Amino acid sequence: MNPAEELKQKLPAAVVSTGMQLNKPMAVIKKEELLNAAKKVKEMGFDHLSVITGTDYNDHFEVVYNFFSYEKKQNLVLKVITDHDNPEVDSLTSLWKGADWLERETYDLVGIKFTGHPNLIRILLPDGWVGHPLRKDYDMNTEQFVTMGEGGEDVVSTDGGNLLRRK
Amino acid sequence: MIANAYELIVYILTLLGVYEPVLNIFQLLGIEYVLKIIIVLVEIGILFVFVLLTVMFLTWMERKVVAMVQARYGPMVTGPRGLLQPVMDGIKLIGKEDIVPAKADRWVFTLAPFIVFIPALLVFIPLPFGQSLIISDLRVGLLYIIAISAVSPIAILLAGWASNNKYSLMGAMRAVAQDISYTIPLALAAIAVVMFTGSLSTVDIVNAQNGTWFGVIPRWFIFLQPLGFILFLIASIAEMGRIPFDFQESESELVAGFFTEYSGMKFAMFFLAEYAHLFSVSGIIVMLFLGGWALPILPFVPAALVQLVSLGVFLVKTYAVIFFAMWLRDTVPRVRIDQLLNIGWKIMIPLALLNLLVTGFLITAGVF
Amino acid sequence: METDELLINMGPVHPSTHGVLRFKLRMDGEIIKECTPVLGYLHRGTEKLGEMKTYLQFIPYTDRLDYVSAFPNNYVFVKAVEELAGIEVPLRAEYIRVITMELNRIVNHLVSIGSLLMDLGAATMIMWGFRERENALQLFEKLCGARMTFNYIKPGGVREDIPEGFIPQLNEFLKDMEKRIEDYEQLINSNEIFLMRMKNIGVISAQEAVNYGMTGPTLRGSGVDYDLRRYEPYSIYPDLDFKVCSRPEGDSYARYIVRIDEMKESLHILRQVVDTMPEGKIVSNPKYGIAPMTGTPSAVSTYFPRIFTPPAGEVYSRIEAPKGELGFYVVSDGTTKPYRVKIRSPSFCNLTAIPKMVVGLKIPDLIAAFGTIDVVLGDVDR
Repeated sequence: MNPAEELKQKLPAAVVSTGMQLNKPMAVIKKEELLNAAKKVKEMGFDHLSVITGTDYNDHFEVVYNFFSYEKKQNLVLKVITDHDNPEVDSLTSLWKGADWLERETYDLVGIKFTGHPNLIRILLPDGWVGHPLRKDYDMNTEQFVTMGEGGEDVVSTDGGNLLRRK
Repeated sequence: MIANAYELIVYILTLLGVYEPVLNIFQLLGIEYVLKIIIVLVEIGILFVFVLLTVMFLTWMERKVVAMVQARYGPMVTGPRGLLQPVMDGIKLIGKEDIVPAKADRWVFTLAPFIVFIPALLVFIPLPFGQSLIISDLRVGLLYIIAISAVSPIAILLAGWASNNKYSLMGAMRAVAQDISYTIPLALAAIAVVMFTGSLSTVDIVNAQNGTWFGVIPRWFIFLQPLGFILFLIASIAEMGRIPFDFQESESELVAGFFTEYSGMKFAMFFLAEYAHLFSVSGIIVMLFLGGWALPILPFVPAALVQLVSLGVFLVKTYAVIFFAMWLRDTVPRVRIDQLLNIGWKIMIPLALLNLLVTGFLITAGVF
Repeated sequence: METDELLINMGPVHPSTHGVLRFKLRMDGEIIKECTPVLGYLHRGTEKLGEMKTYLQFIPYTDRLDYVSAFPNNYVFVKAVEELAGIEVPLRAEYIRVITMELNRIVNHLVSIGSLLMDLGAATMIMWGFRERENALQLFEKLCGARMTFNYIKPGGVREDIPEGFIPQLNEFLKDMEKRIEDYEQLINSNEIFLMRMKNIGVISAQEAVNYGMTGPTLRGSGVDYDLRRYEPYSIYPDLDFKVCSRPEGDSYARYIVRIDEMKESLHILRQVVDTMPEGKIVSNPKYGIAPMTGTPSAVSTYFPRIFTPPAGEVYSRIEAPKGELGFYVVSDGTTKPYRVKIRSPSFCNLTAIPKMVVGLKIPDLIAAFGTIDVVLGDVDR
């Protein structure tokens, strides 16, 4: 049976709709029920969290989780839709440790907050970076300058005030 | 019989007919001792230049041996087969800016390279390069060598501490830990040799190895002390700080270990000291276990050539040991620091003690 | 004994972090109490660039992710686009793709093992590895004019056909490589010091490896017998005969052995591919033209459309790259540029497990474990 349908049978309250992501079964999950659904998914044998993707659709965000089961050799995609103003979903770090960095990356680049994440800080960009680059409304024209502070921390400015300027 | 290099110089000068008139002049002035000092300075100068040239050659040789193992050419551009590369390296290092880190202990930082470099040269004083080619035949030659070698970890500790850098400090700590644990098996293995000769004099040790058993096998101590030889070899490679025991540097872990912060001439001095050390330690291995300059064919060599041939024999043996060290460096990875200490304390020292016990027993029983 | 903690910043400029990675290490003497990797020094915004370039323009950027093995990067993006647009690929093109990818796997493992051994202090292996890598790079150069960044695999096929003399040279390489791998094994496998440094170092159990999302040789080194080439086959892998190499121990040594075995399997695959190579077109869709059999790259590139619009949709496409599972998540909105490109890089995900692996070990062990994880910072930071 299609694992997305199976998930819908087991958790009818959590699954909004099921479908296909091209060739992979997909279930759209209610935002509040994500952690429950993820637990169920893990019970169903999907032990490999392959990737977490956040996408900005201007009016809403989509967070997509690609799962894989080593045992059954099956794919499953979970999709969560959040509002644009305050994108926030539950963190899956308690279930998959690999989710740690993937969520940090999504937070860093797309700006989706993962509640319950133990260490939700930027991972690729320096601390203090303004904006989340993979949002569609990210200001590409503002330059940002990064230097290292006295204690080894990142110092970011938009006017270049932290740079050593030649006269 | 010419005992040491001083007498050899006097002998050569006498042959040339120069010594007597010059000595007469100095005796006339009543300052005979000045001539002695001049001759001593000359012989030290010759040794110094010889060691420096050897060290330069060794850096070239190291690169060529590594290149050979790794299917490369190595230096090829400067001079024939890149032979002048060390000269260029020296010029480059002299031209480099001499950086002292702002937070380093300036005085100690500057002193450390010299403290490394000078013992590396002092070790050569009781080392017999040939039948008479020895600066001074100290009666405690072997003890002197081991004592002088023990100075270099102090200098490394100074360098690591003064750099005020965590990597340097860790490198220095490792160097000291390693040196303490490997000097003991080194000395114990050497003592087993001394038990045969009954003398710490390097000349006596080599003379004891002169000759053959049954006219075929040279009387080298390696045949009497195979275990001692292996222990001494391993311990001295650890003393030299070369792969697989190069913890003071271990460049993939500690960047460059204790000389991370050094540049220019100070760095060059560490570098030169390292290769001088390689040469001296190889010479000591040859002197203790491989018969020094002794070779069974030496009695058949015409007397005029004995000095040259014995020097040649010594150098060939030394370079064989050096080649072994270089070869080893290219084929094995580095052991871990705790594994190194384990090997030192739990395997090498008990084995060295056992070796000593068995040797003593056999000597008392009159087997040798 | 109570001792002061030592904070060591290993990197971003350090000989054995393979690039600009930084480890913040909290040390108790020589023992690591906590290890925090700090990334991002090589972040070039590839995903953002993907949104700003057309599909074909983005292919060269994929080369720059994992620059040690660029063909799989090329391939997986193109595969995603092909799945999105439903483009068929001629068989000959798939064969050529598999040749490039398997050769690249060998190249990648040579670099990986070489740099691992160099970090352990034995510099010989990297030189030997680079000697054979050079032969492979010359093959790549013959094929597409580039040695490291290829831009060779295109939607619908490959850019150029195999040039004359390529297959004999490849056969020679395969024959040579077989002997070389034996040489490596003689040099390394039985070396007592190497075993001392690698066995029981950086152990991670199968369960943990899966939980951390590790893939590729690092996962197989923990005993999970899993390879996308076998269990989620793509390209012509279903027709090929090969073993999935795995070891149960989960330590650094196991990961190293898996890489050596995989090189042998890649040679086996390459031999089969060369033997059964079909004739035919190298680009499928007639709309995109058929590239001539020979010609300069610029002449060939005109046969590909500059503008290319797959239908709206989203796809997550993944393959077994040399370092592990490499995936591209591509969202198309029906325009000429991707709406979103997400790169799931194996280096990034495998690195997640490093803090777990090295606690309680020493700096030299961190280097051994890190070396067997085999990351390329271009792939980690993207």
